[in-house]
Amino acid sequence: MVEAMNISREYIEGSVRVLAVDSVSLTLRKGEVLLIMGPSGSGKTTLISMMGCILHPTSGEVSVGGKLVTALCEDMLPDIRKRYFGFVFQSFNLFPSLTAAENVEAVLRLKGQNKGNVRAQALHLLEMVKLNHRKDFYPRDLSGGEKQRVAFARALAGDPPVILADEPTANLDSKNATEVLSLLKGLAEGFGKAVAIVSHDPKTEAFAHRVVFMEDGRLKT
Amino acid sequence: MLWLALKTLAHEKARLIITVFGVAFSTVLVLMQVGMYIGFMGNATNIIRHVDADIWITSKNIQCFDFTGPFPEERINRVRSHPQIWQAERLILTMAMLKLPAGGVEQVQVLGFNPDSGTGAPWSMLEGGINDVKGGRYMIMDKTSEQRLGSLNTGSIWELGGNRFKLVGLSKGIRNFINAPIVFISYDRTKELYPENQTSFIVVKVRDAKKLDSIVKELNSQLRDNDVYTRKGFIYKTVMYWTVQTGMGMGFFLTAVLGLAVGGAIVGQTIYTNTMEHLRELGTLKAIGAKNSDIYKMIFIQTGISVIIGYTAGSLFLLMARQGMEKGGVDLYLGFWVFVPIFLVMLCTCLLAAFFSIRKVRTLDPVMVFRG
Repeated sequence: MVEAMNISREYIEGSVRVLAVDSVSLTLRKGEVLLIMGPSGSGKTTLISMMGCILHPTSGEVSVGGKLVTALCEDMLPDIRKRYFGFVFQSFNLFPSLTAAENVEAVLRLKGQNKGNVRAQALHLLEMVKLNHRKDFYPRDLSGGEKQRVAFARALAGDPPVILADEPTANLDSKNATEVLSLLKGLAEGFGKAVAIVSHDPKTEAFAHRVVFMEDGRLKT
Repeated sequence: MLWLALKTLAHEKARLIITVFGVAFSTVLVLMQVGMYIGFMGNATNIIRHVDADIWITSKNIQCFDFTGPFPEERINRVRSHPQIWQAERLILTMAMLKLPAGGVEQVQVLGFNPDSGTGAPWSMLEGGINDVKGGRYMIMDKTSEQRLGSLNTGSIWELGGNRFKLVGLSKGIRNFINAPIVFISYDRTKELYPENQTSFIVVKVRDAKKLDSIVKELNSQLRDNDVYTRKGFIYKTVMYWTVQTGMGMGFFLTAVLGLAVGGAIVGQTIYTNTMEHLRELGTLKAIGAKNSDIYKMIFIQTGISVIIGYTAGSLFLLMARQGMEKGGVDLYLGFWVFVPIFLVMLCTCLLAAFFSIRKVRTLDPVMVFRG
């Protein structure tokens, strides 16, 4: 579904050249949970950003759904992200001015879903993550686990084929973390989604079909 | 994006109130300055606009309507001899002292008109009629002068320029720029207050309005000791005198600009602060597929809505305060042609102010959302 071919990302910090990701090739397949592990600063997030078309690689190619996206201009990337990806972030990044249902609704609207239908779709997605009873709650009134479940519902809005989750359990207790990881695995196995998780939590391994390790910007074999 | 813009705006009520207050304050300031300026200019040209004349003949080199000089009144015969002139009338405009019932005097502007033709007569009567000034020392005053002169009752006797005049009528809403009470009396009686055989204006109706410019040119060459203006030209001369030569226009203009700057600064600052405080959410929007243009749209919608609410609030406040201001002697013109252009100027100013936020969004890197 998503293929990174020999991608690198280089930053210049002052006069120092930093190679955050160095010649990484990786494929994320439909129906699998791919876990990218590694210590802080190993380049996991930069890798997932490039695979999610948020960041352009300095060199190498990324293809999404068989289409080479690195050849596309910057202005076309938002459309690719809208069509193919659902994102789950470590710090949830919910919109504080919107309720749980509205957070999901916002993404559905952004993805151009039929406006008359977005409310029903949002409620359906909240039901999938068992949070329908909190639909009218603002993020400030939700627990960490509940926020992350809203983030999941939001990531699923518009039925994207790829879910990219960056440290999804970092701010959760172990019960909520297990629930969230089960949910991710269920999305891959039950709905055929391609799921990539970035984490340094060893407990995550049990929920992954495939695990890769990164260190100093490179994949460790 | 409209939906999200509205939701975010409504959620941040305190910020919305501050923005709306800023726009409303700015609106009041700008509308008041422009309304007052137009009101003053309306007063300055009140009589010119209401006298049914195509041409105004004045003494040479006058500055404006209010500061006219005398010239021989028999010059009207030369004017009437022009084949294209249909009607010509004389008007006298002068200042005189009016003795107040409680003692003391007030300077008033006296306009002498011919009650038979009605040219130069008050156009809006509350009590009495314009013909009542005929045949004696009778006068019409304006109700708005009560602020300066005290209660005005028809039948009362007043001393004007050393002569006793009976108040026979009351007009309404007739003011001049110099804010002196206006007194209308018959042309013949005004002569008692003016140099002998002199007049202030000759006002002319032409037979064919299409030939107006050529008639003015001809009269100008025939009447070398006078100035001849079209009605529009005389209005323009008077407005330009008060606006440019006295510097008053610049004063109004600067205050209006200051009002706009205040509104723009408040809106710009609140929108910018709002953007800075919500960078993470805007970054999230970008990460999940919003284009820069989508977020610009959201910011502009929020700015536009704040301006609409603030402008409406400011305008309503001013409309409510208008009556009180007019009672205090300030004429405020608030019409469609004031509200619409000023709204557009206000909107453009605030949208420009929102550009600081746009610059921030343009350079916002969506990768930031992955940072914890």
